[in-house]
Amino acid sequence: MSKPLILHMLTTAKNLSPFDVNMAVDAGWVSAIPYTNVEPDEVQGLVQDAIFSRSPKGLKYTGFFIGGRDTKQAMDMLKAATEAMFPPFQVSVLADPSGAFTTAAGMVAVVEDKLKTEFSTDLAGKNILVLGGTGPVGQVAAVLSAQAGANVRIIGRQLDKAQRITDMCNQEFGAGKITITAGADADKAEYIKTADVVFATGAAGIELLNAELVASAPQLKVAADVNAVPPSGVAGLDPFDNGKAIAGSQSGAVGVGALAIGNVKYQVQSKLLKTMIEKDHPLYLHFEHAFAAAREYIQASK
Amino acid sequence: MAKRSILHMFDPMQNNSPFDVNMALDCDFDVLMPYANVKLESIGRLTQDVIFSRGPSGVKKTAIFIGGRDLGVAVDMLNGAKKAMVPPFEVSVFADPSGAFTTAAALVACVEKELKEKHNKELKDCKALVFGGTGPVGIATGVITSLTGATTTLVDHFSSEAAQGLAEEYNRRFNSNLSGTVATYDEDKIALIADADIIFCTAKAGIQILNPEVLSHAKQLKVAGDVNAVPPSGISGIQLNDFGAPLVHATNAENAVGVGPLAVGNIKYKVQHALLESMLTGDKPVYLDFIAAFEKARELLK
Repeated sequence: MSKPLILHMLTTAKNLSPFDVNMAVDAGWVSAIPYTNVEPDEVQGLVQDAIFSRSPKGLKYTGFFIGGRDTKQAMDMLKAATEAMFPPFQVSVLADPSGAFTTAAGMVAVVEDKLKTEFSTDLAGKNILVLGGTGPVGQVAAVLSAQAGANVRIIGRQLDKAQRITDMCNQEFGAGKITITAGADADKAEYIKTADVVFATGAAGIELLNAELVASAPQLKVAADVNAVPPSGVAGLDPFDNGKAIAGSQSGAVGVGALAIGNVKYQVQSKLLKTMIEKDHPLYLHFEHAFAAAREYIQASK
Repeated sequence: MAKRSILHMFDPMQNNSPFDVNMALDCDFDVLMPYANVKLESIGRLTQDVIFSRGPSGVKKTAIFIGGRDLGVAVDMLNGAKKAMVPPFEVSVFADPSGAFTTAAALVACVEKELKEKHNKELKDCKALVFGGTGPVGIATGVITSLTGATTTLVDHFSSEAAQGLAEEYNRRFNSNLSGTVATYDEDKIALIADADIIFCTAKAGIQILNPEVLSHAKQLKVAGDVNAVPPSGISGIQLNDFGAPLVHATNAENAVGVGPLAVGNIKYKVQHALLESMLTGDKPVYLDFIAAFEKARELLK
């Protein structure tokens, strides 16, 4: 008999997200075991505890999931987990704090697809504004877009915070190879004049781009919004929109709503969780792998 | 439908150990339920919640595991759980805080085997030192060894008072006959090991406690056991898989041999597996502590 599939689920928060638990069990993990309030420096011990209690063969049926809320912390924990292991005592690890990695991957991949199908272009060289962009989803969407060649600006209410987050994204997630810039929310009327793409990743229920700003964007092509709670983060955009023209856009921009993004996010997270089970070698998965999976899913579903 | 087996894992700490989780699921427990931050005073209530919800046949498919880091608390919890049983509503309980009971049991049993085979001696006629003797594995090693009749001393790296205090505390609790002392510098260690028959090293991983120079002062040393699997070894010259290999640096102790961490780990694994399994297979409930673990380790090594 083969060993039962065990996913050890770590979070720095007080509880796991039931979303992640359901996803893991539906992906085929037989036991999803929670570890809460985990400090990053506890990861090594927890991982080594897990790898030394099963044979290398049994470890193929063992995995780690890293949740929490903080993107950098999750990446640090992923790194600590990777470094705690050595052949042949290795297991796969997936980091997806607050679902931000898979959500951002889904959003950027859908927007990329709209650029291609509606405007025959891609992310390279596009001016992208990430509104409410200092949170987990905004950070990762900025990084993925910048890695795809876009000129990305993270917009926050406090410029100094946006600047800090931007530096962190460039250094930590982009390994110094990307140059995202920061901007203040107060200046967005200026920035919108040259924007090709807008990601709205702020808190639910806050309108980040009003009708007037939508109308004043002469080259806007796609606007995406992860917020499913009314009012929409982008005026005129509905959560169900998936490439529908945004009412009031002078440039013929199309909208991508939370449910269209959520569908891809769901498929991507499920795919990554299944890949951990299927592959014979250990995988260390984060936002870049989520983005690759999102692109693949969109191509495959055409 | 047949009832599935459930292991309720009570832990005074914030999280269970992934080691124990893997072990329990590999022993065919179908469902594993972690309980974190469990307090001693809650044990009676939790236990009665366990026993009264499945009927007399269901309790045979139900068991309790007690983890944590503190031996005394674990044993108190084990006793508390036992007291809360109401026959025929009773389930098996296994305490193994930080794996200390099974690790210590395996360590002492392996050393005992080599003592018998290579030196034709019994533990009760020996003088034993436990370096790193104030941690969970060290204390459990000390108590088990002392209860066999060996003259046993817990050695702390920093504080004689700490070692003595713990020795007295555990003597009261388990009727053992431990003493405690300190050895910070090589001179202290040399003085201590001159007439020791047995040396256990249960100190922190990756720290060498006894170097070749110190070891060369041992004159009666017969067997040394080390549970540290992270280089450098706690006792210089002991290899990971050693099981009765000559202790090369103990140049003045005739036929001294060593037992390495993977040899101990292998027995520990088998002991824990057997004890977990015994909770599901036996007809009568069992209450398993370090004594049961030691008996099982001895049996496995016969």
